[in-house]
Amino acid sequence: MKQPLHLLADRDSLAGLAILGVCAVAWRLTAGFDEVPAILSQNVPPTFFPRLVIATAALLGGLLLAGGIRRRAVDLAGRGPANDPPIAGAKAGGTTLPPPVFWATAGLVAAAGVLIPLVGTLLTVGLVAIALPLLWGERRFRLVAALAVGLPGAIYAVFTLALGVRFPVGLIWNLL
Amino acid sequence: MDPSGLSIAFSLLTDPVVLGLIVAGTVAGVVIGALPGLSSSMGVALLLPFSLYLDPVPAIALLSALYCAGTFGGSITAVLINAPGAPPAVATAFDGYPMALKGEAGRALGIAAVSSVSGGIISVLTLLLAAPLLARIAYSFGPPEYFALGIFALSMLASIGAESALKNLVGGCLGLLIATVGIDLTTGVERFTFGVPQLLEGVQFIPVLIGLFAVTELLNQARHLGRERVIAAMTALRLPSREDFRRVRATILRSSGIGVFVGVLPAEGSTMAAMIGYNEAKRWSKAPEKFGKGSIEGVAGPEAANNAATGGAMVPTLALGIPGSATAAVILGGLQVQGLRPGPYLFEEQPTLLYGIFLAMLLANILFLFIGLFGARVFSRISLVPRTFLWPTVFALCLVGAYGLNQSMVDVWIMILSGLVGYVLKRNGFGPAPIIMGIVLGGLIETSLAQSMIIFDQQWSGFLGQPIAATLLLLAAVSVGGARLRRALGKLLTRAAGTARRQ
Repeated sequence: MKQPLHLLADRDSLAGLAILGVCAVAWRLTAGFDEVPAILSQNVPPTFFPRLVIATAALLGGLLLAGGIRRRAVDLAGRGPANDPPIAGAKAGGTTLPPPVFWATAGLVAAAGVLIPLVGTLLTVGLVAIALPLLWGERRFRLVAALAVGLPGAIYAVFTLALGVRFPVGLIWNLL
Repeated sequence: MDPSGLSIAFSLLTDPVVLGLIVAGTVAGVVIGALPGLSSSMGVALLLPFSLYLDPVPAIALLSALYCAGTFGGSITAVLINAPGAPPAVATAFDGYPMALKGEAGRALGIAAVSSVSGGIISVLTLLLAAPLLARIAYSFGPPEYFALGIFALSMLASIGAESALKNLVGGCLGLLIATVGIDLTTGVERFTFGVPQLLEGVQFIPVLIGLFAVTELLNQARHLGRERVIAAMTALRLPSREDFRRVRATILRSSGIGVFVGVLPAEGSTMAAMIGYNEAKRWSKAPEKFGKGSIEGVAGPEAANNAATGGAMVPTLALGIPGSATAAVILGGLQVQGLRPGPYLFEEQPTLLYGIFLAMLLANILFLFIGLFGARVFSRISLVPRTFLWPTVFALCLVGAYGLNQSMVDVWIMILSGLVGYVLKRNGFGPAPIIMGIVLGGLIETSLAQSMIIFDQQWSGFLGQPIAATLLLLAAVSVGGARLRRALGKLLTRAAGTARRQ
């Protein structure tokens, strides 16, 4: 059981597996499309093109998986990858985990989507302009404050006043 | 060429507002290109939602000017801090930075500016002549030809980076799949909408674009916060001397030709043109041993090629509706969002727009010579703007740009999701360009395939009876399998030679 696990310990193999998984889910979803009579679809049903694309992606994913396994097998056999160029380029082995600041940034990006309906776009922009610099180690607080005020102000001036775009003010402001 | 269209476009461009937008686009392009992490693709993607508030001619002129100038802007940081502002400038750093370390930064940037302008102007002139001719040929194209052309364009993704051919093709498929979201136009059936009414009309192109280019790069920057940059001292920037120009003029001409050719090929962009331009400059050089140590030909080659590819990339984009590069795909999306239909009929319906684009690109190329020559010192400083202030600003523009298009929160979530997924994909070798190409080409490929299947009565063999379509499909097959075929053939020949030697 150990050998197959070793064979899959390659980024391309894992990517290939992930692609096959996504393709399986997407194919399953196409089965849920409404059916239409052949006369209406002119024999080109709504599943035709998506399934063609999914099948092609699955084939490519399979090739990626096979290439990764082959390269890993060569590595395990002790020949080394230099003797056999990789099919898809990625190097075998894992990578270091991203630092905590990366995860916090990703969280902040997602949080911005949650915040906009709550506090509005401009306040969200202001909060991002405070949180992101501080998160990334900026300690010139006056400059951070200037950005937090200036950025939403500039966006309001350009988009709302000049271009007429109305941004959502948020649930909280509506309640107030 | 339509002289009346040209003269109307010329008069449009003399409008102070349009002229101001082109100047602004050029300056913004040089700044964006000079900022490491920001590329012309990202710049055009960020600007696209805002350009929709303008009329088509100034909007596309603005984006085109940014595209041209952004490609050049990357060379400033490539030379001064060995951090190419954009991927097409990677090859420029090979010799530009060693020149800067020798105290010749001004000379390197002068060569880069003149080579870029020469390549850019040659490519715009090619665009002016070749695009209408290609469009005339495309008049005879029917659904089978357009399907084959779309497949050929996607197959070219396999050759963007030989090592990641499979991943690029998977990215293209992902883009095609995203393009199928929404109501199927033939049958009216909902596909992959998950009950979200905003998805009935499909996934909006712009939020995906912003997410894949800008949010992905924001996360990438978060991962590499510790990296320090050191700027090389720059003496006054100067135009190449007569001797310098004599040494590089053949390289500039050759690389411009390469750039235009590579740019015209669907999906191939400035980065590949620059790499080939650099390699060919070295191959033809009388002093190849100086490459990598500060050769002026090593700067001129990639710079002429990457800027020549911009005009080249616009040829299939405008004439056929098939993007010649990732940035051209974004501009193509911009044309579509403006309600225009790129392709041969655009030349009949909107000659003013087309000539407006040509002239805007020509003007941008001339402008960035002066901007590059006189502003390089300032732009090199801009490149040192702290990331802690730059990226919150970029992210704010992402939020506003994604929301402003339809004033819909679904678009904001699509942008955020595209960014997060795009980052995971990029970390695993799947770049954003193939996905964008897939999304842009998805509609064309599906519609033309469906129409072809109806014409051919569901027989795939019908494509073989269409000479142009069959040739394009054959080229697509060669493009996908070519690299592997060459490798297998190479191994076979080596083995055969070894056997012959032993005997």
